[in-house]
Amino acid sequence: MSLSRRELLRAAALIPAAGALASCATPAQTPAPQATAAATSAANPLGVAADKPLEIWIFDGGFGDAYAREIHEPMLKAKYPNLEIKHNATKEVAKTLQPRFAGGNPPEFINNSGANQMDFGALVADGQVADLTPLLDAPSWDDPSKKVRDTIDPLAIEIGSYDGTPRVLNYVNTVWGIWYSQKVFQENGWQPPKTWDEFTKLMDDIKKSGKMAPFTYAGKHPYYIYEALLTVAAKIGGADIMKNIDNLEDGAWTVEPMKQAATLFAELGAKYLMQGTAGLDHIQTQTAHNKYQVALLPCGSWLENEQKDTTPADFGYAMFPWPSVTESDAMPYGTLHSQPGEPYMVSARSANPRAGLEYMRAMLSKEGAGKFMEMVSTLTVVNGVGEGLQLKPGLKSAADALTAAGDNKVYFRWRQWYAELHTEVQAASGQLMSGNLKPEAYLERIQKKADAIKNDSSVKKFKR
Amino acid sequence: MTTTTSPAIATSRKQARRDRRRRLGPLGVLSHVALAFWTVLVIVPILWTFLASFKTEDEIFGDAWSLPATPRWDNFARAWEQAHIGQYMLNSVIVVFFSTFGTMLLGSMAAYVLARYPFRGNRAVYLLFVSGLAFPVYLALTPLFFVVQNMGTLPLIGPFIGLNTHGGLVLVYIAYSLPFTVFFLAAFFRTLPTAVAEAAFVDGASHSRVFFQIMLPMARPGLVSITIFNVIGQWNQYQLPLVLLTSARDKWVLTQGIAEISTAAGYDADWAALFAALTLAILPMLVVYTVFQRQIQSGLTAGALK
Amino acid sequence: MRFITGFLVLPVTLYLIYVIAPYVQAFYIALTDWRGVNASPRFVGLENFQRLFGDGIWWKAVSHNLILLVLLPIIVLVIALFFAFLLNAGGDRGGVAGSKVYRVVFFFPQVLAVAVVAVLFQQVLRPDKSGMLNAPLISLGMEPIGFLSDTRVALWSILGVLVWQAVGFYVVLFSAGIGSIPRDLFEAAAIDGASRPALFFRVTLPLLWDTIQVAWIYLGILALDIFAIVWVMTAEHGGPDFSTTVMAAEIYRNAFEYFKFGYASAMGVVLFFFTIGFAILSLRLSRRERIELS
Repeated sequence: MSLSRRELLRAAALIPAAGALASCATPAQTPAPQATAAATSAANPLGVAADKPLEIWIFDGGFGDAYAREIHEPMLKAKYPNLEIKHNATKEVAKTLQPRFAGGNPPEFINNSGANQMDFGALVADGQVADLTPLLDAPSWDDPSKKVRDTIDPLAIEIGSYDGTPRVLNYVNTVWGIWYSQKVFQENGWQPPKTWDEFTKLMDDIKKSGKMAPFTYAGKHPYYIYEALLTVAAKIGGADIMKNIDNLEDGAWTVEPMKQAATLFAELGAKYLMQGTAGLDHIQTQTAHNKYQVALLPCGSWLENEQKDTTPADFGYAMFPWPSVTESDAMPYGTLHSQPGEPYMVSARSANPRAGLEYMRAMLSKEGAGKFMEMVSTLTVVNGVGEGLQLKPGLKSAADALTAAGDNKVYFRWRQWYAELHTEVQAASGQLMSGNLKPEAYLERIQKKADAIKNDSSVKKFKR
Repeated sequence: MTTTTSPAIATSRKQARRDRRRRLGPLGVLSHVALAFWTVLVIVPILWTFLASFKTEDEIFGDAWSLPATPRWDNFARAWEQAHIGQYMLNSVIVVFFSTFGTMLLGSMAAYVLARYPFRGNRAVYLLFVSGLAFPVYLALTPLFFVVQNMGTLPLIGPFIGLNTHGGLVLVYIAYSLPFTVFFLAAFFRTLPTAVAEAAFVDGASHSRVFFQIMLPMARPGLVSITIFNVIGQWNQYQLPLVLLTSARDKWVLTQGIAEISTAAGYDADWAALFAALTLAILPMLVVYTVFQRQIQSGLTAGALK
Repeated sequence: MRFITGFLVLPVTLYLIYVIAPYVQAFYIALTDWRGVNASPRFVGLENFQRLFGDGIWWKAVSHNLILLVLLPIIVLVIALFFAFLLNAGGDRGGVAGSKVYRVVFFFPQVLAVAVVAVLFQQVLRPDKSGMLNAPLISLGMEPIGFLSDTRVALWSILGVLVWQAVGFYVVLFSAGIGSIPRDLFEAAAIDGASRPALFFRVTLPLLWDTIQVAWIYLGILALDIFAIVWVMTAEHGGPDFSTTVMAAEIYRNAFEYFKFGYASAMGVVLFFFTIGFAILSLRLSRRERIELS
C-alpha cells in the first residue's frame, strides 16, 4: 500500500519525469495467482476450491442471462453448497471487463460475446485464457466412463483452440441460412429455392406480388451479409476458400469464386432489397420480417429466440440453405455455414479458475445442455441432447438442415482473430450492397487490408 | 448604461421604437417566420419523442406520425424499474452535487490565490491549470483508469475513491473541471476592486477570512455562472463514468443508463421503453431549465462575455 | 506564504494526480505497443506515428474533423447572430414580441446530454416510415433519404445535429452581448435612418466581435472533440464505411475495440497537437486583430 502512495507522491513531485510517472499508474506486473488446485477426487475431478468465490459474467444478449441463473448455477450450487457464486450480466463485455484484465483481477468465468466482446487473440497472447485440456480430459458430468471431450462436437474443440491448445468453449451450435415464414410461403405458394436461378425467380415473384419486399439484412451491421457472401463463395469454390482467408493467404479474397459471389450479392443489393435496408439494424429488419414487410432474411439460428416477443404466433419460422450457384459448385446443395459459437472462457489469472472449468463441465452435461436448448431455443455442441425434446419450428428447421448437411459444413474464424479486418469487411460489404463499390474493387480493398494485417508485427497471427 | 431617463426621452424612444416597427413591417413578419421555423425545428423532435414514449411497439414501428391509440404509461414503468432510470438519475444528482461543490470550492481557492497573490511559480501553476483546457480527454482515459484503481488501494480512504465508487468519480470530475474553473475565476477575481479587501486587512482580518467573507460574496455573479457551467457539463458527462463506473451497475449515472437502453434495444427490442427513458431524461432537465432559465442564461453568458 | 500553499495544495494535488499524470503517461504509452492486457508494454519509439501516417481511416477521421472545424463555427455563428439580432430587434430591450419564449426554447437542446441527443436523432433520422423525417417523404411516394446510411449524406446529418444542439447557446450568448451594447448607439443610428441590415453590420457586429471570437474558439474545440454523437448515433460507429468517423472515435475504437492502446495513444497525441495548434492559432489571430483595431 505504502509503495503506491509513495509513488504517487513522487509522481506529484516529478511531473516532467515521464518515465518515473509511467511506473506509477501503468499496472504493476501482477503475478498470476497460482491455481491452487484442491485435491482432485472422483466427485471433484477438477479440484475445485470451494472456499473461494466463483465470479460469473454472462453476456446479456439474445440468450439473456436467465439460463445461467436458473440452470447452470443451481447445478453447481447443488454439487458444491459452500461455493459462493457471484452472478453478473452485461451487454458491453469489453467496456466492463477489459479494465479488470488490465488491472490483474479478472473474474473467473466469462461469456465473452456480443458486439463489444474482448479480443480473444490479445487475451490469449497475453496468457489470460485458461487451458481447457483438464476439462476435456475430465470424466463427463453424466457418465464417469466418458471423457468430456468425447461428448461434444469436435469442431467446437478445434474452433476453441489457439495454437493447438483448447482455450475457448463455444457452446452453441449455430447454423446460418435464409429465414422465412412458413405461413407466408404456404399462403403464396412460394417454395424454398435450390438454385440461384430459382432464388432470383422467387424474389421476382415476391416483388411482383406487391405484398412485401423480397430481401433484407441488418444493413447497419453488414456482418450479416458478408457471412452469407462467404458461404456462397465457399459453396462455389470449396471449404478452402474460407480456410485461406483465415490464414491470410496471398490473394485469398480475390479468387474467382469470391468474385462470383460478390457479383451475385451486388446484384441482390441492387435489385431486391427492402427500402431503407442500409440504415436499419438487425432488430429493425427482423421486426419488419415479423410484420410481413419482407419475405427473406439471412441470419443465424438464434433468430427465433431473439424475436420471440415480436413474432406472431402463426409466423412459423423456417430456414433454407443458400442455393447452389452452378452445376459445378464444389459443394452440394444443403451445404451450411455451421459453427460452434457463443464463446465462454475461464481466466487463467483469476482466483479460482478450476471452479470456472467445473462450471463448464456442468454446462456440457446432458441436463445443462438440454435445459439450455429448451429455454433459449438453440442448438448446442453437446451430442445427442435434442432427441426427444419438443422444439419450436425454426429450431427444428435448423436442426433438420444441420442433419441434412452431414459433413458439408464450412466455417471461418478470422472475424474473431482479426477484429480490424472485420471492421474493414463490414464497411466494404455495406458499400458493395448499396452499389458504391464494384465487386472487384470490393475484394481488392479487403485484400489490401488483409495484407496490411499480415505485415503488422503487433498483430498476433493464427493458423487453422 | 443610462440609469435615469427623463420622461421626454422615454417617449421619444418609444416613438422611435414604434416607428421602426412600422417601418419594418414585412421584415418583422419574416423575422417571426424565421424564428418560428427554428422553434419548430427544436421542439418537434423532442415532442415527437415524448409522443413515441406513449406508443406500443407496433405503433413505433408503424407510421412515425401516427398518434398512440391509447397512452401506454407502462412504458414509463418499464423504463423506471427495469431500466433503473430513477436510480441513475439519483446517482447523477448525488455525483454532480458533490463534484460541483468541490469544483467550486477548490477552483475558487486556487483561482483567488493565482489571481491576487504574486509569488514565485504563480505563472507556472496558472499555466499548468490552463493548459488542461486543450487536453483531449480521450488521450488520458486508459492511464486515468489505472490512477483511479491505484487510489482505491490506499489505506482507509481507498474504498471510497477507487473504481466504481461515486467518490472516485467526484474527484475525477473536480480535477477535470478545474482548468476552466480556474481560468475563468482567476480572470474574474482580477477584475474585482481591491479596496474592500485592503480595508479588511487593515482591520486585522486573516487572508482566508477575507477570501470567504469578502471576496467570495463579491465574486457571486462569476461563481453562479461557472457553477451552472459545471453542473451542465458534469451532468452531461458520458465518457468518464463509462470508464470509471463500468462494473457497478447500481452506481451508474443517467447518461450511461440512456446509452445502455439504446444498446439494449438492439437485443430486447423494447423501443417503447427507450423512448420513455429518453422522455424521463429530457423532461426534468427542461423543467428545471425553464424554471431557472433567467439565472442560467445570464449566468452562462456572463461567463463567456467576460 | 502559508496561506498560499494552504489554498493551492488540494486543487494542485488533485489536478496533478488525475489530470497531469495520466496525460504524461499517455505520451509514454504512445511510444509503446501496449495492448492493454499485458502488464509490460514494449517500447517501439515512433513506430506508431509512422503507421498513423499511412492509415487511410485515420486521415479520413482527420479530414472529417477539419470539415467540421471549418463549417460548424461558421454555420452556428451565422444562424445564431441572425436570430440574436432578430430577437433583440437591433438592441431594444424587448425585441420582437415573444422574444423571451424564443430564447428559452432555442436553448432547450443545450441542456440535453449529448448521449440523449444522439439516441433521439437516431430515431428521428431512421430511413423507413418509422423515422420522423422520412415518414412524410415515403407517404408522398418519394425515396427515403438515408440520413445515416448514405455515405454521401451521413456526415451532413452529423453536422446538422451538432448545429441543432449548439445554436441555442450562442443565440443567448449573442443576445446578452447585444443587450450590453449601449442602446443609445442603436437609437442614434436608427434616428439617422439606418436600415436594419445596416444596423447589424455597422453597430452590432463590430461591438460583438470579441464575443464572436470566444464563440469561435468554443465551437472549434467542440468540433475537434466530437465523440458521443458519432459513436452512439451512426452505424458501424463512425460509418457507414467510415464516412462519419472522427479522431476521437478512432482513438476509442483502437483502444477499446482493437486494444491497441499504444497506437490509440499516438492518435491521442496527434489530436492533442491539433487542439493546441487550433487554440494558439485562434488566440494569435484574435490578438493581432485587436492590435489592428486599436
